[in-house]
Amino acid sequence: MKQKYYFTAALLCAVSLCAWLFVTVYNNSHKESKREQITVVTSFYPVYIAALNVARDCGGIEVFNLSEPQTGCLHDFQLTPEDMKLISRADVFLVNGGGMESFLGDVTEQYPDLALFETTEGLRMPDENAHVWMSVSRYRGQVNFIAERLCEISPEHAQELQANARAYDSKLAELEAQQEEILEKAKGRKIISFHDAYAYVADDYGLVTEYSINLDEERQTGAKEAADVLSAVRDGETNLIFAEEQYGRELAETVEKEADVNVYYLDTLVRGADEKDSYLDGMQKNINILKTAFGV
Amino acid sequence: MLEYGFMRNAIFAVLIITPLFGMLGTTIISRKMAFFSDALGHSALTGIAVGIVFGISDTNLSMVLFAAAFALLLNYISSRSGTSADTIISVFSSCSVAVGLAILSRGGNFSRYSSLLVGDILSISQREILYLLVLFVVTFVFYVVCFNRLSAAGIHRTLAASRQIPVSLLENLFAVVTALIVTLSIKWVGILIINALLILPAAASRNISENLREYHFFSVLFSVFSGITGLFVSYYINVATGPAIVIVASVLYFATYLYGRMNQR
Repeated sequence: MKQKYYFTAALLCAVSLCAWLFVTVYNNSHKESKREQITVVTSFYPVYIAALNVARDCGGIEVFNLSEPQTGCLHDFQLTPEDMKLISRADVFLVNGGGMESFLGDVTEQYPDLALFETTEGLRMPDENAHVWMSVSRYRGQVNFIAERLCEISPEHAQELQANARAYDSKLAELEAQQEEILEKAKGRKIISFHDAYAYVADDYGLVTEYSINLDEERQTGAKEAADVLSAVRDGETNLIFAEEQYGRELAETVEKEADVNVYYLDTLVRGADEKDSYLDGMQKNINILKTAFGV
Repeated sequence: MLEYGFMRNAIFAVLIITPLFGMLGTTIISRKMAFFSDALGHSALTGIAVGIVFGISDTNLSMVLFAAAFALLLNYISSRSGTSADTIISVFSSCSVAVGLAILSRGGNFSRYSSLLVGDILSISQREILYLLVLFVVTFVFYVVCFNRLSAAGIHRTLAASRQIPVSLLENLFAVVTALIVTLSIKWVGILIINALLILPAAASRNISENLREYHFFSVLFSVFSGITGLFVSYYINVATGPAIVIVASVLYFATYLYGRMNQR
């Protein structure tokens, strides 16, 4: 009789000990890097890369990104406790804004005093579409906005920050110059778009979106949508489809089999490598694809 | 970890809800209702969907109402119908999941609700804790007043009825209380595993206890212990909380199972 209670006590102790050991071992292998004076937290990839470039080589400014989802866009992302911890020690929290981060309500509720900035502030967003970074000119606006905010927060680094921002901006300006070349040929052409992000591609190049659907994670395409795309191809005198590699491929391939279309897979730049130049590289690839598409 | 508001909320929620899980779990297991509570968990999807259709902004409310109605209807039909209970439950459960999925996936938007499947600890707000506290008191009173009669009904329905025990009423009340507890914790525990929290501590306790008092004591103890340990582990290694709690509870189940077997010989 007594034995049972001893067993239970021993069992609970053993499990607690195991849990504690496990946590200790895990945390030792995931040691956080040493704290710098200013912690910048960004909500997701394009903002992160922009902040990384602006705050480059500024000793004392550290840029972190939230543990963003590995799939799809950010709309349905939930914060993890780890993210909440990160945000709690942020000096500034930079987000894309425009409704891209649905979790902002949670954050402001928990940390009402947090310095939170929407980097798309003041930028024109047609149809409340928040995929602003897909337009190079608007992305430059975001970069400048980030530079201004960081200068306010860390005036002692203002010179470095401004120099970094200018250097990054000039690389972006080169991309924009390439876009001009395409614009001449592409203007007025009709396209079919499989992702909301391409609204900005259409805007940058003066394209007319004949039909658009937004394919992302866990979004099953209905038979009707496939039929709609095909009839848009037949009626709309267009044979250009812009699709996203991960979610658009299935439908795009179906349409390719049924009709005479050219599908181009453009990167939506929602995620990518953790490197400073990955936005530039990704956008350059997109521009190269568009050059082929419009015969530049 | 206590410096964060959401963790304080989570700890409160765990401390309130796990004793309830332990208490109700014993009755659920004795009455062979494990499948019933699972179906209740699934009905939460439909509850949310129905709430959205009717424009109820507080999804807790629509979930609770729907789950209570669901539980009562299920009880009613299974007491009237000749078909065995697990068939009826299965029919109800699949129907409600289908309706819920159909509504929530309209326009391809199911991903917005996928957090319901695994649970999200940040969804616990102070208002939910208040609900849980009220529920805790209600359940506790219900148990103190009705437990003996409820377990008599569980042992032998007809005999209990012959002793003037309102068997159907008690069963319905129990079903509603279970529905309330399941739906109010589903957002942070997750539909996929909510049932494990009800079943595992009680099942583990059954492995080693010899009478009803021990059965309840160990069940509540295991439930609270798994809750706290699971929350602690999930916080430090960054995994979802519901699954972490269930893993701890499963370890307890298997350990007590082995212990029970060894002592039988």
